[in-house]
Amino acid sequence: MIKFLNPSYVFKISGKLLNIFKTILIPLVIIGLVFSLFLSPEDYIQGDSVRIMYIHVPAAWISLFSFAAISFFCILNFLFKLKNVTLIYKSLAPIGLTFNIVAVVTGSLWGQPTWGTWWAWDARLTSMLVLMFFYIAFIFSYKFVSNPDRSIKACTLISVLGLINIVIIKYSVEWWSTLHQPASISLTKETTVHFSMLIPLGLMVFALFMYVAVIFLMKYRIETIRIKKKGIKNYEL
Amino acid sequence: MNFEIFVMNGFGIYVWSSFAFTFLVCLFLFLRTKKTLKKLEKEFVKEAHNLSEDRLKEVKKQKIAKEILISHSRS
Repeated sequence: MIKFLNPSYVFKISGKLLNIFKTILIPLVIIGLVFSLFLSPEDYIQGDSVRIMYIHVPAAWISLFSFAAISFFCILNFLFKLKNVTLIYKSLAPIGLTFNIVAVVTGSLWGQPTWGTWWAWDARLTSMLVLMFFYIAFIFSYKFVSNPDRSIKACTLISVLGLINIVIIKYSVEWWSTLHQPASISLTKETTVHFSMLIPLGLMVFALFMYVAVIFLMKYRIETIRIKKKGIKNYEL
Repeated sequence: MNFEIFVMNGFGIYVWSSFAFTFLVCLFLFLRTKKTLKKLEKEFVKEAHNLSEDRLKEVKKQKIAKEILISHSRS
C-alpha cells in the first residue's frame, strides 16, 4: 500500500500502464460500438432509443464513482496530509465532470422520445444536475484558492456535501415518485436487463472505464510534472 | 444501402446525437489532455537543459525528473 502512495513509483508505473491501456482502448471501443449500435436488439417498449443506455448508464456510473472516489481521497488527505492523494483527486475531478455532462445530455436525448420532454425537474435529474455544480465548485476550490490549507478544507467540505448528494441520487428513484426508471442493474437484487443487452452494456462500461484510466493517468502525469517544474524553478534561483 | 440502420425507426436522430456528442466530448478531452502533457514535458525538458551541468545532474538523480526526460526523448 505504501508503495502505491510513493509518487515516483506511481509516476513510473503510470507511463507503462498508459501505453497498455491506449493499445486496448481503440479495439475495445470499436467492439462496444458495434454491439451497441448494430448487434444488440431493440427494446420491446422503448424501441431503438434504448441504445442510448449503452453510453448514458456508463457515463452516469463514472460520474458517481469519480465523485465517491474524490470524497474518499479528500477525507484521506484531510486526515493524513498525503501529497500524492491531492494529485489523484485533481486528476479525477475534470473526468467526473465531463461524464456528468455526458450523462445529463444523453439522458435528455433519451428523455425526449421516451417521456416526451427534454427535461423534468424530477429528483434523479435534478440531483444529477446538482452533482455537476458540486464538481464545478470542487474544481474551482483547488484552482482558485491559493492557500493550500484552505484549499484542502474547501475541497473536503464540498466533497463531503457532494457525497450526501450521491446518496440522494442513488435512492432518489425509491424515495420519490420520478419519471426516471428505477435501477435495472443491482449487486444485491436480480438484474432486469436481458442478457443480449447486458453484453453491449458491459463492453461499453469496460471501454469507457479504460478511457477514464487513460485520461486519469495522463492528468496524473500533468499534475506531477507541474510540481516538478516548480522544483526546477527553485534550482534556478 | 440499408438506411434503416441510421433511421432506427425514427429514433436515429436521438441515438446518433448521443453517441456523436459523447465521442466528440471524449475526443476533445483526450486531445486537450495530450496536448497539455506534451507541452509540460517539453517545457520541463527545456528548463532542465537551461540549468548548469551540476544542477542538471542533481535533477537527473530524482526518479520522476529522470522518467520525464526519458519519456520525452522517447516521444
